[in-house]
Amino acid sequence: MGMIKKVFHSPKFRLGFIIFAALLLFVFLYPLFDSGDPLEMIAVQSYLKPGTYVSQYDVAGSDGITLDVVASDKKLASHLPEADRNKMKTYLVDFVGLDANQVDTNNIPKLIEQWMDNYNPNNKAGLLVSAQRDYRNINKEVLAALDAGDIIIAINDPETGELIQNKTIHDQQYVQVSSVANRQVFPLGGDNFGRNVLRELVEATKTSLMIGLIAGIVATAIGLTLGLIAGYVGGTTDNIITFITNLFTVIPSFVILILISYSVGQEARGVLLVACIIGFTAWPWTCRSVRSQVISLRNRDHVNLMKLSGHGLLHILTTGILPYIASYVVMALILQIAQGILSEAQLSMLGLGAATSKTATLGLMMNWATLFSAVVNGSWWAYFPVVIVIALMSFSMNLMNTGLDQVFNPQLRD
Amino acid sequence: MKGYKKYFRKRIVWYLITLVIAVILNFMLPRLMPGDPVAAITANSAAGLTDRTAAQQIYDEYAEAFGLDKPVYQQFFIWVGKLFTGDLGVSFINYPRTVSDMIGSAVWWTIGLQLPAILTGWIIGNLLGALAAYKGKFIDKGLMPASMFISGFPAFGLATILIFIFVVKLKVAPAGGGYSFDLLPSFSWRFISSVFVHYQLPFWSIVLTLIGGQAIGMRSMSIYELNADYVKYSRFLGVEDRKIVGYVFHNAMLPQVTGLALSMGTMIGGALVAEIVFSYPGLGYTLVRAITGQDYPVISGCTLIITVMVLIANLALEIIYGFIDPRVKAAQVE
Amino acid sequence: MGKIMLEVKDLNTKYITREKEDVYAVNNVSLKVEEGKSLGVAGESGCGKSTLALSLMGYYFPPLHYMSGDVIIDGKNISGMSPDLVRKTVLGEEIAYIPQAAMNALNPTKKIIRFIEDVIRAHEPKATKKDIRDLATERFQKLGLPPDVLDRYSVELSGGMKQRTVIAVSTILSPKVLIADEPSSALDVTSQKMVIKMLRDMMETGFIKSMVFITHELPLLYNVTDDIMVMYAGQIVEQGSAKEMVFDPVHPYSKGLMGSIIVPEEGIRGKKLDAIPGTPPNLKHPPAGCRFAPRCKYATEECRAGYIPTRVFAESRMMRCRLTEDQLREVYANE
Repeated sequence: MGMIKKVFHSPKFRLGFIIFAALLLFVFLYPLFDSGDPLEMIAVQSYLKPGTYVSQYDVAGSDGITLDVVASDKKLASHLPEADRNKMKTYLVDFVGLDANQVDTNNIPKLIEQWMDNYNPNNKAGLLVSAQRDYRNINKEVLAALDAGDIIIAINDPETGELIQNKTIHDQQYVQVSSVANRQVFPLGGDNFGRNVLRELVEATKTSLMIGLIAGIVATAIGLTLGLIAGYVGGTTDNIITFITNLFTVIPSFVILILISYSVGQEARGVLLVACIIGFTAWPWTCRSVRSQVISLRNRDHVNLMKLSGHGLLHILTTGILPYIASYVVMALILQIAQGILSEAQLSMLGLGAATSKTATLGLMMNWATLFSAVVNGSWWAYFPVVIVIALMSFSMNLMNTGLDQVFNPQLRD
Repeated sequence: MKGYKKYFRKRIVWYLITLVIAVILNFMLPRLMPGDPVAAITANSAAGLTDRTAAQQIYDEYAEAFGLDKPVYQQFFIWVGKLFTGDLGVSFINYPRTVSDMIGSAVWWTIGLQLPAILTGWIIGNLLGALAAYKGKFIDKGLMPASMFISGFPAFGLATILIFIFVVKLKVAPAGGGYSFDLLPSFSWRFISSVFVHYQLPFWSIVLTLIGGQAIGMRSMSIYELNADYVKYSRFLGVEDRKIVGYVFHNAMLPQVTGLALSMGTMIGGALVAEIVFSYPGLGYTLVRAITGQDYPVISGCTLIITVMVLIANLALEIIYGFIDPRVKAAQVE
Repeated sequence: MGKIMLEVKDLNTKYITREKEDVYAVNNVSLKVEEGKSLGVAGESGCGKSTLALSLMGYYFPPLHYMSGDVIIDGKNISGMSPDLVRKTVLGEEIAYIPQAAMNALNPTKKIIRFIEDVIRAHEPKATKKDIRDLATERFQKLGLPPDVLDRYSVELSGGMKQRTVIAVSTILSPKVLIADEPSSALDVTSQKMVIKMLRDMMETGFIKSMVFITHELPLLYNVTDDIMVMYAGQIVEQGSAKEMVFDPVHPYSKGLMGSIIVPEEGIRGKKLDAIPGTPPNLKHPPAGCRFAPRCKYATEECRAGYIPTRVFAESRMMRCRLTEDQLREVYANE
């Protein structure tokens, strides 16, 4: 108990723990509030912008409330993005001959006025065909925005095939958002498959943490066992294990990871297998450091005493040595978990992650975002949150590790 | 000099053994999988080909190349024999382009990107770390948490962030590739400047991910060295402060060189993935296209060449280390 | 009486700790060392003797801080000098230091000669490499060290050789005072003897003019130094000639300390070993009155109140006790 208290005294550990716990809490609590299937492809379009989507059908059907505000300015601004307005300016300056200072792209009503006065669809002088088309489209937008006429809702009479006017909607009519029956919230938008990014992210964080945890446990278990044996037994056994460890420290584990992952094939690559493969390639440095710790312990008096009183190897290792390196092993485990999460992400980026259709992981989300060019088309919501989650996990675990290190190796304190 | 020779001979022999084992692994791992490796390897890749005879031809060629009718050790020697002549097989996707041809161009892009980036990141990180240890306070309090946070970003994560800022928002850098797509490689000024412009984002994304980790390591090594007995002793003999800082920096840097060697594999792996984000024409991009296209010979060639690169980098570092740390030589004499 | 090489007057220094509680490690210490003489400082570990060594250098870096008092080397008071001036003109030149852990005192990645160059140039920036090498070679030869050590790294030297090299490097500028802090305690017997011989030779040849030798090994002090000073809890407890201190200690603490050793030369073999019960006090909160009182079997209530000053007795001796020499001797006689 005292140990845990001491550990939490370290501000670094505390900060790391809080970040990590907050992430965990969010991941496990979020599904309680939003129980939708994280992998459901809701949208037909790719990369929905973040926000609330309400059913257009329901909106048209709802009773309106009239608010006395001018609607046309904002409508114009949203119909005419800055790029279009710049094109309008180019037209007005280059082809109509207005002074550049007189045309202000930010003063929309004035701009529209100038446009309506000067745009002539028959003026084709010096214009490329594509430019002519551009300006025609802009003109259409302008006309649509200016047209404040009512929208008429009509229903088709099933017998006569006649359209019967049901309702008209004018431009000062509003509907309260929560009164619209069908709504979909995409707090972080949609991804390339039309999935809800936030739901997917929560699911992916959970899966990646699990992969990290399994990989970390596998790597630590192998590294610890080999390290204990090599350090304690020594001699030829040590030489062999050290040789293998050095070998796999130099041969990049990244490469072994690729070879094994590729070889097992896309179909077989489930979350569990990917985690085990990562763990299986990550043990060397844990083994290395456990070994050196054990060597410094193996000639301590209490170990010698156990040896003299005839205890077995297993008993000495578990009661004479393991408790002394326990804090160290925990630190190694934390680092391995963090590294496991990163490895999964990199593997998935290469296209060697868990099978795509069945699950989401942080790496797979990154993979889709790069593959379906979210990064270059500015759909930041599809990858920023993923990068931030990876960084936060890695940061929090590194902090906890540093904090533990300072508590257990006080001479490192500055 | 005798001590050095012995040390270098030992290390070179050790690396040769490692290389042999790496080559064996590269050969064996895909063959350890259950089933007919050639069928498994070619089935997926041939699926893309509409021409049935072409698919059959690929299968036959590969069955022969694998030498499946021969015992495993013979298969291995045939394969190694081909390696020595630089024959890594033929690509499935870009048939009949040879793997060595494809990799040959990619390798130089990767080396050209990663070698300077890793060195720059290492140097900047170490300078910052030493500064934080020595000057303390402001740099220490502000810089270290920031370093730790940034070093938590994987290189590909930083790559996406840099693209978002400099390509999507500021529009000051190209989105990807090694050079502008309307150019052909040549020694023209336009081509070189295009390469330089395309180089910036991949380069800095790798550098930035490295700085944090190196700075943290260097800081704690420097603090450790600052408290060493020789520092106290030198001070009491009146040696100037800047000289002592020099001692500390030199000695704290030594474990950082070893650390660089140990993490070389991880760094290169991370940087290769960052290449993908930029569609940089290096090994990372070649590798990911090969994986997507199930192009086994290219994958195998890439992993082999990456291994060789990491081994060479490590050996180089160990040789440099041997020269800068006299303890290595002393250990050989004993 | 010879020229006074080192004089310390009421020196006080402290450690400022993280917990904001200061540790008063050196408390009102005064001492004198004449030319050609050596002073031994003895005491249990933690009594402040190593801190005294550091404080004598006049060069403080955290957590050690100067409070008050004077350190005068050959008539020059270094206590008021700026740290930079001390570094340039005092350290290594006037007063030199041999650290406790000579094993790690030399930078492992620098050749000995390169380090000597740095040391000499810190004081004489214009010295040429050749001059420095000639000086170092000559000095090493005179001290019985093989000159090829100069071109070695410290990792290539054995423990004893390392320590002797450190001594040679420390005294390369012939300082007036040498502070040796447990210079031989980590060595085997042969190396220890060589180190002691070397220190004595240096005194005789005048490479050093005086020495303060700090150790917890009392027999060594008797062999090496002229005078002995016993420290306890940052204060001087008793001081006198080596012979007097070893064979006739008066203060209860010195008596206990000397009683716990055997000096074979004088045939007091078989004398019972009186370990002093208890442990030295925590210097964050030193006891009021006599600091030794809690462990002293003769202590009374009066001992635990008020500051106890030092008193001079038997002409040249000095001790810090409430009782006089005669009173103490009477107490011992009645035992």
